[in-house]
Amino acid sequence: MISAAGSTLTQAGTDLDLHRSVLHSRPYQVVVWNDPVNLMSYVAWVFRSYFGYSREKAHRLMLQVHREGRSVVAAGPREKAERDVTAMHGYGLQATLEEAE
Amino acid sequence: MARAFRATTRGYRADMEAHERRLLSQLCADVISMLEARGEAWSDDAAAPDDSFAHFRRELAGLGDDLEGESGGAGPEPPEDAALARLLPDASDDPQEAAQFRRLSEASLRESKIADLRAARMALESDPVALSEAQAPVFGRALNDVRLTLAARLEIEDEEDAERVHRMAGGGKASTTDEFMAELYGFTTWLQETLFTAMLDVMPDDQ
Repeated sequence: MISAAGSTLTQAGTDLDLHRSVLHSRPYQVVVWNDPVNLMSYVAWVFRSYFGYSREKAHRLMLQVHREGRSVVAAGPREKAERDVTAMHGYGLQATLEEAE
Repeated sequence: MARAFRATTRGYRADMEAHERRLLSQLCADVISMLEARGEAWSDDAAAPDDSFAHFRRELAGLGDDLEGESGGAGPEPPEDAALARLLPDASDDPQEAAQFRRLSEASLRESKIADLRAARMALESDPVALSEAQAPVFGRALNDVRLTLAARLEIEDEEDAERVHRMAGGGKASTTDEFMAELYGFTTWLQETLFTAMLDVMPDDQ
């Protein structure tokens, strides 16, 4: 049996996505940077609500950002890390993506 | 004088004077305009759903898929304006990586911020300002984008700058644009602090 023709373009798009994810299969991490504007309560709330971290973990990561200037707040496959960074930007936090060491 | 955000049985509420709500709504509108102008400046890229097809064509033409070539000249440049640069920051220390990320995600980030700010303006139409559990984070994000914009205009780059602006706002009657902006910054900071302190308080511990 043969399926209807005409899905060529969709197919090409899927292959490109696959190609991209194979290229980037190493683990990535999400870094949040300190800034003088975002409130400590807000940053802790974002870590709790977005990542689902406990009160203690969210507070510890927030303090690490505040005191050390940066903190790795999540790690994982590139696609997830990209989503996380975009979400952090949505909340107005300074976040970057980097390859895990 | 406004009363801080506090938790209620159905979310959060704050009592604000009509002129405070109007001012805050106007600030949201200003940030929306700024983001929309950025979108219009790069509308050719935003309206390019065949972007991956262009990538495919490069490969077909034997140009390879090197990412430098792909991002060269195609995507939006990082914003020169300090406030826009703060709202739409680079996602990587590596300029190439940041450019590629920006090309793929800036338009949707911009749209989501505009949607948040519009929702906040709607919430500011009511007196008192009442937010459901679902609306509170949206309002908080919009409020934060307003604060980030004011902070960029007030050139807050470190803790000392923040302290300087705090002192400038303390004077009572603002007579310069900067003093007025500093007062607005103080006001929005206080609103956000009270909202998120209330939100953290009601968040279950075992989450």
